[in-house]
Amino acid sequence: MIRVRAVFEKKGRAKYISHLDLNRCMLRTFRRSRLPIWYTEGFNPHPYYSFALALSLGFESNCEIMDFNITDDNMSMEEIRDRLNAVMPEGMRIVSAAPQRLKITAITSARYSFSLVTEDAAGLFEAVKTTLAQPELLIEKKTKKGIKTVDIRPDMKVISCEATDTGVDMVMDLPAGTQTNYNPTLFVEVLKKFTQIPFTAEKFCRTGIFCENNEIFS
Amino acid sequence: MLKDKIEKHLLEIQKPSRYIGGEVGSVIKDKSKVDVRFAFCFPDTYDIGMSHLGMKILYSLTNERENYWCERCFAPGLDFEAIMRENDIPLYALESLDPIRDFDFIGFTMQYELSYSTVLNMLDLAGIPIFAKDRTNELTQIVVAGGPCVCNPEPLADFFDLFILGEGEEVNLELMDLYWEMKQQGADRISFLRRAAQIGGVYVPQFYEFSYKEDGTIAKVTPKEGAPAVVKKRIIKNFDQVYYPENFVVPFTEIVHDRVSVEVLRGCIRGCRFCQAGFIYRPFREKSTDTICRETRCLCENTGYDEVSLASLSTSDHFDIDNMLTKLIEYTEGERINLSLPSLRVDNFSEALLEKIKRVRKSGLTFAAEGGTQRLRDVINKNVSEEEIMSTCRIAFEGGYSAVKLYFMMGLPTETDEDIVGIAELAQRIVDLFYSIENRPKGRGVQVSVSCATFVPKPFTPFQFEPQDTREEIERKQKLLLDSVKTKKIKVSYHDPNVSQLEVILAKGDRRLCQVIYAAWKKGCKFDSWSEHYHFDKWLEAFAECGVDPAFYANRRFGYDEILPWDHLDYFVTKDFLIRENKTAHQSVTTPNCRLKCSACGVSKEMGGACFDKGKSCF
Repeated sequence: MIRVRAVFEKKGRAKYISHLDLNRCMLRTFRRSRLPIWYTEGFNPHPYYSFALALSLGFESNCEIMDFNITDDNMSMEEIRDRLNAVMPEGMRIVSAAPQRLKITAITSARYSFSLVTEDAAGLFEAVKTTLAQPELLIEKKTKKGIKTVDIRPDMKVISCEATDTGVDMVMDLPAGTQTNYNPTLFVEVLKKFTQIPFTAEKFCRTGIFCENNEIFS
Repeated sequence: MLKDKIEKHLLEIQKPSRYIGGEVGSVIKDKSKVDVRFAFCFPDTYDIGMSHLGMKILYSLTNERENYWCERCFAPGLDFEAIMRENDIPLYALESLDPIRDFDFIGFTMQYELSYSTVLNMLDLAGIPIFAKDRTNELTQIVVAGGPCVCNPEPLADFFDLFILGEGEEVNLELMDLYWEMKQQGADRISFLRRAAQIGGVYVPQFYEFSYKEDGTIAKVTPKEGAPAVVKKRIIKNFDQVYYPENFVVPFTEIVHDRVSVEVLRGCIRGCRFCQAGFIYRPFREKSTDTICRETRCLCENTGYDEVSLASLSTSDHFDIDNMLTKLIEYTEGERINLSLPSLRVDNFSEALLEKIKRVRKSGLTFAAEGGTQRLRDVINKNVSEEEIMSTCRIAFEGGYSAVKLYFMMGLPTETDEDIVGIAELAQRIVDLFYSIENRPKGRGVQVSVSCATFVPKPFTPFQFEPQDTREEIERKQKLLLDSVKTKKIKVSYHDPNVSQLEVILAKGDRRLCQVIYAAWKKGCKFDSWSEHYHFDKWLEAFAECGVDPAFYANRRFGYDEILPWDHLDYFVTKDFLIRENKTAHQSVTTPNCRLKCSACGVSKEMGGACFDKGKSCF
């Protein structure tokens, strides 16, 4: 049995597939591919596969991670990739398939790009800079135990922040994995407290998943 | 671009993947290379409409033709409708995301009467004139409808350019061929409709003039423009060879019937007198076991579904049922596919069959007993005896089942209070049976669910002449049933009589109802089949404003000699036969099923020979 880790894209219209629906969608994709995927051996056998991180509805991604097991030891990673790609829905594509290296728990952060769109691009850019200059950015975050106030600033790493004709393009790293998950919409929420300028946030895309020392998770 | 406009709002609404297309199996074509575009519209939400088998068949069949493109279109949920209206997003088709008002055909499938108001809402959202008379005389935007409800299309007559009667696999393409031929010649709408009316199965309502007597009944139906006096429905003679899709559109979001569906037979041999499907889909035709297995395998492989269900009115009436199930189970078990078998009848439910189903899945058992006493079951020709119900329940209980669901109807012709109490008594005897069985399932009590619908008399059934019980009478009977149940092991549920009343009016109505439907829609009626969206008070206002008496359609006995709104449509079963069956019903006498004895319903004459040859259907 080979333990496979596939990296896949979820783009275009596929971003409207919710996490719950993605599960069902992958099940059918596996069945269409007729790959010898390993089934659980319990009372109700089902094909075993799991996703490293959930992706918010409406987000695109270049780097979603899905783990599964193939019962044929001699199958090449290329064949697995190609057979899945042949039957994938529009907007979804396996970028690579490789043996699983790290544990899912090794994931520490994820990178997101997004655009803030407004009529007043210069004004919004100033507001973003002001917001990022704050020593702390407190936000009410819903957790399983109730609403908690957290400071997202220390764990937020801005990779780039550029003014454009229509607003601001941003890239940032945020904690991700089994411990803490921050969604970039938290930053959008906090930004709204620092400016009256109306804007919308769009084109959210997860562009990387990392572990310790900024190593790409694989 | 419309796509950008749509996407701007998709994250504000429930289940956005329903509105953007891109599903596996959806057919995309280059529109510059397409001659005729067909928008297949289902007047309900995506979750419901995507479950409809007829759409899957006609979608694939049309798209097999390179120069025709069939796309899907559903009613948006209220949240998205508000956004569409606010932002000028016209109703669009899911493949191209182009507005359906630009299509050549806008085709609706009419599966239930309570979807009529939603059709008007969809036309309005599309920016298409609601009344046929208000549409341009250019050859475009032909609004058509098919499906079981169009066997009496009169309440919809003002809204549609034409109706397609019967099965669409052949006539739809003939209609599109004619359209393309005439489009190239630069013909206009009216000349297209004139020629379309000559195609078998095509009914163009504006070519028929209705006049009424003083008592409100129909005096005369006059055809104009050379349209035939009687329009005959279309059927597929060689059913085993009929086109069946090799692929389905596989939705991302969960839909009501989220599985592969394979049609095993069409029509029904039973002749239950209340059942419209049992008459309008005649003759009975079957697919061979080989065809069924081939289609199952092909669809499972192409869609990736892990569940398949057999579609028919009565699967256990298939001539080769045991062999067919054996072969199917062999395949599905090997592939870890669930097989579900709806529409199994009580009377030929054998122990061997139950054993097979049990291996597949252990879910609840449902039986349609329909009537509480043998006398009433004889009236409705539901040829099921109490011994059969009991022996089936015994097999089920001994096989480990402890829950049984029974379907009944209330308000049936000749029904007395004894019949209503009989429902409770029958359920009680099933409870008693459970506790009398030595090897019954241990640790669990028995649960008998009684689901009681209100009888709705329908066109082309022997009960088409019958009145429906008034709301007060139904409510009295519902209370009587509840009072007759003495244990919590019997759970009773029933329908809202207000809903059933609208159903019968729309089912048996004539052209004068078009204005009522329009008025009701204007008042905000849509999605009438969703109890949370159903506003009976608004419908009553609409009836009052239009001067139409609901009781004239719902609670009046239609005479045998009366011209019925659907008499000029020919669904193969003759009116003489329906009258004969109606009389037999009132004598509490049953009619044997078609396989045992031909009752001369009129179908075999159409088919040019007997429907059955040594027990196997000929067609």
